[in-house]
Amino acid sequence: MYNFDFERPKSVADAVKALQTEEAQPLGGGQTLIPTLKQRLAMPSKLVSLAGIDEIKGVCKDDQNRLCIGGGTVHRVIAEKAMSEGFPGLTGLASKIGDPAVRNRGTIGGSLANNDPSACYPAAAMATGATIVTDRREIAADDYFKGLFETALEEGEIITEVKMPIPEASAYMKFEQPASRFPLVGVFVARFSDRVGVGVTGASESGVFRWTEAERALGSDFSADAVKGLSVPADGMISDLHGTAEYRAHLVGVMTRRAVAAAQ
Amino acid sequence: MPDTLDTHVRFGSNSGQPITRRDGRAKVTGGATFAADNSPDSVLHAVYVPATIARGRVTALDTAAAEAHPGVTHVVTPQNRPPLQGDPSDKPTMFSFRFEALQDDTVRYAGQPIALILGETLEAATEGARLLNPRYEIATPRTGLDEAAHYTFDPDAFGKPADTVHGDPEAGHAAAAHSVDVTYETAPQYHNAMETHAVVASWDGDRLSLDMPSQALSMTCAGIAYYFGIPAENVTLRSPYLGGGFGSKAIPTGPYVLAVLAARMTGRPVKMMLTRQQMFGPVGHRGQTRQRLRLGTDAEGRLTVLDHAGLSATSTFDDFIEPAANASQGLYAAGALRSTHSAVRLDVGTPGPMRAPGEASGSAALECAMDEMAETLGMDPLEFRLRNYAETEPGTGKPFSSKALRECYAQGAERFGWADRPLQPGQMRDADGLRVGWGMGTAFFPCPMFMAEANATLRADGTAMVETSAADMGQGAWTALAQIAADSLGLPLDQVEFRAGHSGLPDAGVAGGSGHTATAGSALHAAGGDVIRQLGEIAAADPDSPLHGAGNAGFTARDGRLYVAGDDSRSDAFADILARAGGAEVSGAGSASRAPEAAEAHAMNAHGAVFAEVKVDPDLCQMRVTRLVGAFAAGRIINPRLAESQLYGGMIWGLSFALHEEARHDPARGHIVNADLAGYHVPVNADVHGLDVISVHEDDPYVNALGVKGVGEIGITGTVGAIGNAIWHATGKRVRRFPIRIDDLLGD
Repeated sequence: MYNFDFERPKSVADAVKALQTEEAQPLGGGQTLIPTLKQRLAMPSKLVSLAGIDEIKGVCKDDQNRLCIGGGTVHRVIAEKAMSEGFPGLTGLASKIGDPAVRNRGTIGGSLANNDPSACYPAAAMATGATIVTDRREIAADDYFKGLFETALEEGEIITEVKMPIPEASAYMKFEQPASRFPLVGVFVARFSDRVGVGVTGASESGVFRWTEAERALGSDFSADAVKGLSVPADGMISDLHGTAEYRAHLVGVMTRRAVAAAQ
Repeated sequence: MPDTLDTHVRFGSNSGQPITRRDGRAKVTGGATFAADNSPDSVLHAVYVPATIARGRVTALDTAAAEAHPGVTHVVTPQNRPPLQGDPSDKPTMFSFRFEALQDDTVRYAGQPIALILGETLEAATEGARLLNPRYEIATPRTGLDEAAHYTFDPDAFGKPADTVHGDPEAGHAAAAHSVDVTYETAPQYHNAMETHAVVASWDGDRLSLDMPSQALSMTCAGIAYYFGIPAENVTLRSPYLGGGFGSKAIPTGPYVLAVLAARMTGRPVKMMLTRQQMFGPVGHRGQTRQRLRLGTDAEGRLTVLDHAGLSATSTFDDFIEPAANASQGLYAAGALRSTHSAVRLDVGTPGPMRAPGEASGSAALECAMDEMAETLGMDPLEFRLRNYAETEPGTGKPFSSKALRECYAQGAERFGWADRPLQPGQMRDADGLRVGWGMGTAFFPCPMFMAEANATLRADGTAMVETSAADMGQGAWTALAQIAADSLGLPLDQVEFRAGHSGLPDAGVAGGSGHTATAGSALHAAGGDVIRQLGEIAAADPDSPLHGAGNAGFTARDGRLYVAGDDSRSDAFADILARAGGAEVSGAGSASRAPEAAEAHAMNAHGAVFAEVKVDPDLCQMRVTRLVGAFAAGRIINPRLAESQLYGGMIWGLSFALHEEARHDPARGHIVNADLAGYHVPVNADVHGLDVISVHEDDPYVNALGVKGVGEIGITGTVGAIGNAIWHATGKRVRRFPIRIDDLLGD
């Protein structure tokens, strides 16, 4: 094993300061980064753990009916609080990430900062039109995700909070790759009084996206039948040993219909 | 001394009993020591660096960086590798493979060892291996069947299958009223025993001691000895337990020779255990195949010709041609039979025998082609097979030593409910709307015997000890062979100490070809019989024995006593006979091999019938094998529990072959992109919904004195085709490539 420095600040301000070192990397719940370190796919000289910062933990509802989730909140807590705050669709998503060990360590901030093309939260963030709050600014979800593992975050920028508008109805459906349980395709559908959001993860070579055609169709008729004739092109979908681009495109339609049916 | 249980459990009676595994307690409590559990004092840890490209040359290694890492003691590269006495590029025996042991800087496949690091700890050696940071000159890899020229070859006993023709295939094609001409492909598969390859090697002068998993102890000793210029008897090999072998642990390969070389070079014991990723390269695999099957029948559905041409991939530097087309010999009564093989050299490690080599991939294609032929005829697939049932061996006309295949078909079909199957595909749905399909295939596997020897000793107290260097790969040899030995001695199992898994014991031959129980068991049977014969002579000559003078009548041994044959009133306890003879032990020896006259006069095979139900999600195309029923006739079953377990395992492997296993190569560099058990999918419990095995009774007086055939591999055959055919029956789609992928069913 190689050596690196490790810091565990107690406040966002201290964390930001600690991250100013060259090659320093923030560590959320470590559910992706630690295995990555073990495989030597990343070798930062310094890790700054965000796990000791209480001010970025917790879930509440603001006066605009948004679920405000601290960036350091673990999936298990999100699953519990989303239910009591009237957002069962997010409970469904968070309660099926990984396994209990992952859900007790992994954080929403870590997931969104990593932006794995198969991560679940980005689909919910896109579908609900969430706002990503960092130590220095607020970023709309539409502007935040930039492709596979790429986001609008700058070096050393920390996600402190995610503000998700609570939909009237929502559901997340994913098709799990049987060995890893990561979604081959996951679709989050959120119905609001004035619009419908559809976020698709796992499918596209460009990362999470909103399926706007389905959003329009569902906006006038929120039913599985409304999207029955729609399809996304296979062009630009991920093709790998788990499934071809055509298969992923097919799954987007199936998972969207199933999510709509589940949200009703 | 091999590991033996320090306590004996009372198992009840012997052969035919479903006794639990003798080594089960040791394994589940951690008492069983596998090769890599041995850590002699001052052991060094060896880690080899696998090539990450499939074709090219190593141009640079940061040896200084690796050497500088604390704990790294040696960095071995082609520049400084000490000489071997046997050339790894040679094939000294029929069963040898050519392999890489740092001869030069050429890279011939991904995963090939290109350097070896020795360290005081595993961690230091692993880090040293990483620091080597190899640079390459990369050539375009060839990993697909059409990326290199196809060739034919002269047959050889191992690795180069002969072509076989019976009758006139061209006439058979010309005479056909109905025909199919279909091509199936099977993917490269890699043995993934739970215990990866491992060795602990230590030298004492020119004597070598090895702890390593081996399914062929004496052959392994001879193989290793060759490369180090020492006699085979100078090698002591301990292999009490194996965590699976599947054909890959019979023949020494490069990593083993490098570890042994490192031990000789350093004068210290060396331990090496392959990582899961390293299992995909230098230790053998099942080569990919493409098989063209042309079948013709007369108007009534009788095969006029069964014509099977196989193309198999091998490496650029050695030949192991998966003998897939041979699966079409010996099974169906076709007017003409032809099996031909060709090969293609790819930038992959050399394939080798992997559980049912040839039979598995050949049966997959054959049983699907038979289904397609039945479809063309509008005939039920089972009825079609019965119409072509071979009463004698097709082509040769030899009688079968035994063949209860008709009973397998009948009992399997009855248990499965085959009679209710609609002929047309796409007719069945379950309550959840899933498509349901039923398919079947015939299982078929030869039952070879090799050569084996065994000793048996009856001790003064009436207990016995038997010895043979048998290998328990997890299949239960420790138990089934001990049952045979105890029977041959007329003793309860707990009165017999069974020694195996050590090269110093009489040679038990190879645990392969599904012939270990038949071969080593027959040797044990003979050794026990030798002891009983001697004991009878002692008793008959002893005036104080109740058996005195009864030698002409003959004796039987039962529960530790000798009885006059046919007269239970006259008996004598083993211990009493020996006590009166002065308390000496009686030792016997036995050997076994197939009787040549029996082999000449009969065709010898195990048979079975496998029925599969699959369900396919119409939206997602997800496939689930919801039921598998296999009925098998494999001669005498020594231990029904273990035999059933073997057949379960074979059928699960068939499921894996049909739907899961496939190594995928990166097109640019040629490495296997899914070289781990997350990407290389093998079935888990969630994939196996229903398994049912029927053992069909079969007496065989010709295969060997025990009547044992073998159950190790036959379960794979038949199963792959049954599943492929069931998927067609559910969906109407013929997917002619295994594994069948989820996206193959898209768009219907």
